[in-house]
Amino acid sequence: MAQAFPYTYYACNCFDSNTSGKRAAAVLQEAADEDEGTFDPRSPRANYQLYPLEHLLYCEDCQQIRCPRCQIEETLNWYCPSCLFEVPSSVVKSDGNRCNRSCFSCPLCTSPMQTFSLDPTGESGPPFILECQYCRWSTVEIGIEFEKGQGISAQLARIGNGGKPLPSHKERDKERERRKELEARKRDGRELFSPSTETTHTDKDEGPPSHDDLFASLSAFYKSQVESQTSASPFSSHDINFSSPSAYSRIMNLYSTSGPKKKQRPKPTAMREAASALEGLTLHDPSADTAAIERLKRDGWASTISPAQKRAQPNPSVRFTSDLRPLATLLCTKRSKRCRSCRQILTKPEAKITSTRYKIKLLALNHIPRLSIRALASDTPVPGSSRPPAKVFDYNALKPGIPTHFLFHMSNPLFDPIKVTLATPSTTPGKVQSRVTILCPQFDVGANTDIWDDALNMPAKRGSLLSDQAPQIEAGKIWDRGRNWTSVAVEIVPGFLDESARVEAETPGRGGPLEEDDDVLEIPVFVRIEYEADTGADERGLVDSKGGKGEKEKREEAFWTVVGVGRIKGS
Amino acid sequence: MSRPVTKKPAAKGEYIETDSGNKVSRRSAITGTANITLGGRTVIMADVVLRGDLHSTRPTASSSGKEGTPTSISIGKCTVISTGSVLKPPCRMSRGVPNFYPMKIGDNVFIGPNCVISAIAISSHVHIGANVTIHAFAVIKENVKILPNTVVPSAMVIAPGSVVGGRPAQIVGEVGEGWGVSGGGAGNGLGVGGGGEEKWVEGGDLRELVRSIK
Ligand SMILES: [Zn+2]
Ligand SMILES: [Zn+2]
Ligand SMILES: [Zn+2]
Ligand SMILES: [Zn+2]
Repeated sequence: MAQAFPYTYYACNCFDSNTSGKRAAAVLQEAADEDEGTFDPRSPRANYQLYPLEHLLYCEDCQQIRCPRCQIEETLNWYCPSCLFEVPSSVVKSDGNRCNRSCFSCPLCTSPMQTFSLDPTGESGPPFILECQYCRWSTVEIGIEFEKGQGISAQLARIGNGGKPLPSHKERDKERERRKELEARKRDGRELFSPSTETTHTDKDEGPPSHDDLFASLSAFYKSQVESQTSASPFSSHDINFSSPSAYSRIMNLYSTSGPKKKQRPKPTAMREAASALEGLTLHDPSADTAAIERLKRDGWASTISPAQKRAQPNPSVRFTSDLRPLATLLCTKRSKRCRSCRQILTKPEAKITSTRYKIKLLALNHIPRLSIRALASDTPVPGSSRPPAKVFDYNALKPGIPTHFLFHMSNPLFDPIKVTLATPSTTPGKVQSRVTILCPQFDVGANTDIWDDALNMPAKRGSLLSDQAPQIEAGKIWDRGRNWTSVAVEIVPGFLDESARVEAETPGRGGPLEEDDDVLEIPVFVRIEYEADTGADERGLVDSKGGKGEKEKREEAFWTVVGVGRIKGS
Repeated sequence: MSRPVTKKPAAKGEYIETDSGNKVSRRSAITGTANITLGGRTVIMADVVLRGDLHSTRPTASSSGKEGTPTSISIGKCTVISTGSVLKPPCRMSRGVPNFYPMKIGDNVFIGPNCVISAIAISSHVHIGANVTIHAFAVIKENVKILPNTVVPSAMVIAPGSVVGGRPAQIVGEVGEGWGVSGGGAGNGLGVGGGGEEKWVEGGDLRELVRSIK
């Protein structure tokens, strides 16, 4: 998806794992030490460190921006995004991360499915079906109808495709026990067969066991293995080897309601693996492949499902549309976030599912000045309106070789005035080299005031504070200034797209044929801010705006941003 | 981005402003005005179609007892409906007769140009991009962003804080904690200063945007 120009992304300092947790000063020092300190927005790594300011948090203890990579998430609760009901974590553990309140999505197109009555009398009685209103796929296509319009989840769990009933958990367990006994009796009666011949003819009569059958058998087998081991030897538990009981019980715990056993685990004597179909072993059956190929010949590709559809199915081995099942909606989570280095809580939403409020929310945009760019010769268009503004600047067609003026606009969310220093490389990195000059790279930005001050002084203070003189483009002078914002002019000479071949000749490795998005003009801008803050008065809400009595502490902050100016027009 | 051809603005000014500050374009097409409520400071741009005439025809045995005019579309405060969008209350056939259900749209909702909306409810602080289609009975919860050209299938519920896109719509992300918070300062969007900068953000308070529309 194309991002609308212009935009600004902020780089989190954690991109270099060595710098995480370092103060701004250290980062600055490092930047000064390095000769090639320029941030390259085109490096593959940049994909993982650039964020819009709205997505970044701020740790007040570390005085650092925190991006998704340097946060820790903690799940507060689980809920279904479709019916918006909370699901207790115990249910998530036992039943999995899908909604069991009859929320289903279409296995073909992912749209939500609705229950409809197929009642021939028109009285909305049985039978019922699930149907997708988007692509019109319905459970009729897999031969499933429901007797009741309520409790679809429970009904669906008991009906297989084609309408044959599915056994419940308990029935499965009983059936398995019965067969095991049968087998044991057979074995007693005759000579012992080798295990391999024994397994091959377990249930020839009923076709291969289903995915659910196998999972249940395997699960029961491992459970019995773990139990037989835990009671035995008294050794310590800390080794988690492959094939050790502790590894199994850990995995088993992922799929069961019962909590982890706190008992000391015995030293593992390697456990045996499932050796028969009743224990969950599946042997590859070549005849299934032949059948699939025959079916492909007969029905064609149209009867198969796409990789995405296959991935969404609970049974990963389905191949044909006739095997599809409606998908119970996947649950979502509400999460709180912590700073990865000091564990301070950065955001904490209210636990209630319907609430969108936060108890704690430390946003970067309340701590970091916002840098934005716009063309000097442009009005801001009114979005959605058909009337274009008087002057429109086309950010998608920057003219190569023509010096064009832009404005960097810096607004300050802090309640202290800041000193800003901007730095850019004189030519942009990448194959197309554009020249960039910030006419006034060092300037001050006034303090933010609280909204009541602002509201009271609105007519006088909202706009420009330099209204008596017309703004002009002059080196070392700011363009315009308001209460908590300052703008400076930037001259950009977009590079020529066809010159990259020449660049390649001069500095090998930089030029070469253009690839997708090489015509996007992005400028890395290093921002350093300095300000004096009241010590020990971080909670701005508690400090009265006059402040004064606390001692001042010098602070600085530094980070890279990437400003997307636009797309250079080809000649 | 291509812009539609400029039409000459109406001589009297594009918008009729009501007492509560609603701005309704003279070039919008609104039917069944009596069945439509606007919350104040809401903008209806040119070529927008509001089908207020499609209201419930069921005999309403309302608890209050009075036979008032049925509401078919209610729109909250500071909501912007952009050019060329169509709002049509959702319809369901019952016993062979079409029955319309009232559509409710919250505060500070931005609906982009050329959308077709038949949702049953759109909560506050929702941003809908251009050319979006929302089918009947979809429910869009708070703080949702719908990317341009998305088709939201009927009866889909979009959970708070989701970003959706695609045809049919799928959840593609979360809006993040900073959604709707104006940059550059604490407070409700008053903190950011002029200089030609946008004084509103997607999902935020749209008062400034409404003010700038003339
Ligand atoms: Zn980070
Ligand atoms: Zn659900
Ligand atoms: Zn579908
Ligand atoms: Zn921290």
